[in-house]
Amino acid sequence: MLISRRTFLKAGALAGAACAVPAAFDFASFVRGAAEAPVTRIPSTCNGCSTNCALWALVKNGRLWKLEGVPRAMKNEGKLCARAYGVAADVYNPDRVTRPMKRTGDNQFSPISWEQAFKEIADKLTKIIDKDTASTVAWLTHGGKETYAQMLLDEIGSANYITHYSTCFTSKTNAWDKMAGAQLTSDIDRARYMLFCGRNYAGGIMPGAMRKIMRAKDRGAKIVVVDPRLCELAKVADEWLPIRPGTDLAFFLGIAHTLVSEKLYDEKFVREYVFGFEEFWNANRHFTAEKAAELCDIPAAKIREIARELAKNAPAAFLEPGYHGLHNHYASSTRIAQANVIVNALLGNFYKHGGLMPAASPKFGKLTLPKRLQPEKGPRADGAGVGNEYPTVETGRGIAQHMPDLIAAGKVKALFVYHFNPLRTAPDPEYQKRMVKADLVVSIPVSWNETSVYAAHYILPEHYYLERMDAPKSTGGNIAYDYPQAVMRFPALKPLHDTRHLLDILKGIAQEMKIDDLYPFTVEEEAAAMLRPLGATLETMRESGCLEMPEAVKPGFPMKDGKPALGTTTGKVEFTVGAFKLHGRMGVPVWTPPLVSPKGDNEFRLIHGKQPWHSHSVTSNSPYLMAVTKSYNGSRMWMNRGRADKLGIRDGDEATVEARIEYKGETRTVSKRVAVKVTEMLHPECVWVPSGYGNFSPRQTVGYQQGVNYNDFAPARVEPLSGGCMVQEVIVTVRKGG
Amino acid sequence: MAHYAMLIDAARCTGCAACRVACQLQWQLPPEVFFNRLEFREHGQYPDVRQEIVPVQCMHCDNPPCATVCPTKATYKRADGLVLIDHDKCIGCKYCVVACPYDVRQVNDRGIPEKCRFCAGFIEKGEQPPCASTCMNDVRVFGDLDDPNSAISKKMKTVQVYQLAAEKGTKPRVFYVKRGG
Ligand code: SF4
Ligand code: SF4
Ligand code: SF4
Repeated sequence: MLISRRTFLKAGALAGAACAVPAAFDFASFVRGAAEAPVTRIPSTCNGCSTNCALWALVKNGRLWKLEGVPRAMKNEGKLCARAYGVAADVYNPDRVTRPMKRTGDNQFSPISWEQAFKEIADKLTKIIDKDTASTVAWLTHGGKETYAQMLLDEIGSANYITHYSTCFTSKTNAWDKMAGAQLTSDIDRARYMLFCGRNYAGGIMPGAMRKIMRAKDRGAKIVVVDPRLCELAKVADEWLPIRPGTDLAFFLGIAHTLVSEKLYDEKFVREYVFGFEEFWNANRHFTAEKAAELCDIPAAKIREIARELAKNAPAAFLEPGYHGLHNHYASSTRIAQANVIVNALLGNFYKHGGLMPAASPKFGKLTLPKRLQPEKGPRADGAGVGNEYPTVETGRGIAQHMPDLIAAGKVKALFVYHFNPLRTAPDPEYQKRMVKADLVVSIPVSWNETSVYAAHYILPEHYYLERMDAPKSTGGNIAYDYPQAVMRFPALKPLHDTRHLLDILKGIAQEMKIDDLYPFTVEEEAAAMLRPLGATLETMRESGCLEMPEAVKPGFPMKDGKPALGTTTGKVEFTVGAFKLHGRMGVPVWTPPLVSPKGDNEFRLIHGKQPWHSHSVTSNSPYLMAVTKSYNGSRMWMNRGRADKLGIRDGDEATVEARIEYKGETRTVSKRVAVKVTEMLHPECVWVPSGYGNFSPRQTVGYQQGVNYNDFAPARVEPLSGGCMVQEVIVTVRKGG
Repeated sequence: MAHYAMLIDAARCTGCAACRVACQLQWQLPPEVFFNRLEFREHGQYPDVRQEIVPVQCMHCDNPPCATVCPTKATYKRADGLVLIDHDKCIGCKYCVVACPYDVRQVNDRGIPEKCRFCAGFIEKGEQPPCASTCMNDVRVFGDLDDPNSAISKKMKTVQVYQLAAEKGTKPRVFYVKRGG
């Protein structure tokens, strides 16, 4: 039955809530039967996003009951977000893949035994390696847990370990590594002034970061959020500055110009620790705050004011190093990341408390494994680090979004896709579907995601995260915390289905390939070896839920023999990147306009971001999280009220969104219908969509065809410097109705 | 005797819905039944716009209209302040659903009204309700108003509070922090 809702604040009715039988839990009988049953608490780490929040899984009668955050864990300080609960409950989601599957036709699969699957995959893989070389074998993955797959690639001689980062934030890691030799993190706990641009810790949630930000706010630190959308973090900030989307580089250069021209920057720091300042300044001395203001829609006076306030509070002031939003999705993303390094360095906040600090990470041990004879590796298929292709793209991350091209060109014949769903989370799903044309595609998922349904020849389901043990992880990074911490997953539940651990899946394939003893260890043994130098055991880890080491990270610029010793050629922060100078490009960032810009009443730049209760595709089939979406009309596309009025679109109306996809001589028009949220909280030149929707796997019954996804409208381009996918360089036309 | 209450600082809420889903797991509720909701509202015009998010749940009123209208006394008020529903006595007439001025009652799949239970059974053991303990922004403080050392008693002394629809005379046990301006 439906319950109609009244609201207190005004009569804008919220969605009705339908009561239904539980999708996942038989809660009535569970509660009755379990009232007196003992509760066991097993530590694990959340798999709802990549933060690795430490949690206790509370289990009654062998069933998951609830979760609690581990208070000591710095990334979540005892707190968990909605995604944590929804994703945990999904262990009971009927849309999981329950046993190995083999493709028999379009969207048709038959069960196959593990033994048979290993045998068939091994046979095909061996033939491909013999005929086409191991360089045609690729492992495509979200990232993390790389060790096991890396060992197989090393053994056969393939360099193709490719991560999802080129669809997420590689411009940032690329620029910071080349300019500063490391990824520094913002010291929120000790900062007096924080500038967040395109980074929304309350939407792409990291609970520990939000706690630090709120504590900083309570003690009077100033928080400024620059974002085309009044995002969740902007809601609690001192100031929200709606920037014209795609122009953050201008804003950063305007700040840098103010700092230098008004001599507000840390001259001593620049003299001692910076290389390439003159080159940067020569190229940008005319790029004033006024010039920036024309481009980015933030008044020059405001740009100067922010620069002055940053300088006044420096070094306990930072421009947050940023993440997904700005760091892959514009043609200028690499330059944006460069400018970010530069603004922070001008503030002299490197390795200073309240500014930027290095991440603390525990010194894990390693298993001693027998040395193996390994073949020489051929070139990377994706072109990352390859001289005449993408020489400056990090080889540790690679380029994920153009895989179908590599397959069509015969560069990839065998493809493994692990813990990653490129058909939904990389640009242009119609193009990504062509992955199925490889000779062998193996998907290792937990659910019937799009990649499994449309591209995989074999689906080898992994244990759910609550069902498995994974090696300990460091949680350092993204936000500063002085002490190294380690967290770890222990199995909280018995596997519900005929699934396996990744290590056992790889062992099975390697054995069938007659590669002897490639993995002569268990996860327990590996974990124990990692913990040993920390003076910890599996038992101490299980009891604590989070291990903290006493050696604190201390402020102070890294020095060696009295000289700056960053991991760069000069040991200094390098404002210019030699490697970027190829093909007549600049080594320093200079204003780079967006690739495309909207014109006319019906054109908008399409941008996206996270909603607090969804990650990307991993949460979009969760009954609990989709119920939240229903309550709050969460899948609507945002549009500025003034623009909507011109198009005759009212809140809740359906609209048609169209884009032309042009890629390598191919042109297609994509057209989707979506409901619109009309709002004052968005820059007029863009529309914004939350990133967790638009599932098109019919086997994911909860999320199927709810809302749209930004990837639907973007071609699978590659930004040449860092390999980013530039999906916010998309203009859509919008009209009311169908 | 304890005197349970909750203090909500809505200005800190960023609308993550963790409170809702944490509560659903604690009570093993199906996805569509939830005890707390958020009310979103925009104020002003672009670019001078502000957002307000107010978490709302059962107010555990000291003068609960839901209990007054209940013909079987299935809804009742405990001495420690909790307003609860005795499912065995409930005949599913839904008068309480209509009577509640806060619209916080939902009807479950068996036709019985449900709502926030202030985590009866857990709080007596000293546990915090998960809606409060999971909140990364410390929006909610739950506790005993009769204990001057409880976190809620201390915080109530330092802030001004208001209640939702106070004019209805329901005397809610959920208080909201009043912000200047
Ligand atoms: S958990 Fe806290 S921040 Fe999140 S919606 Fe609930 S009250 Fe708001
Ligand atoms: S808020 Fe509604 S359901 Fe709760 S006690 Fe008051 S009247 Fe009853
Ligand atoms: S007090 Fe308990 S029952 Fe009420 S909303 Fe919070 S968690 Fe749910």
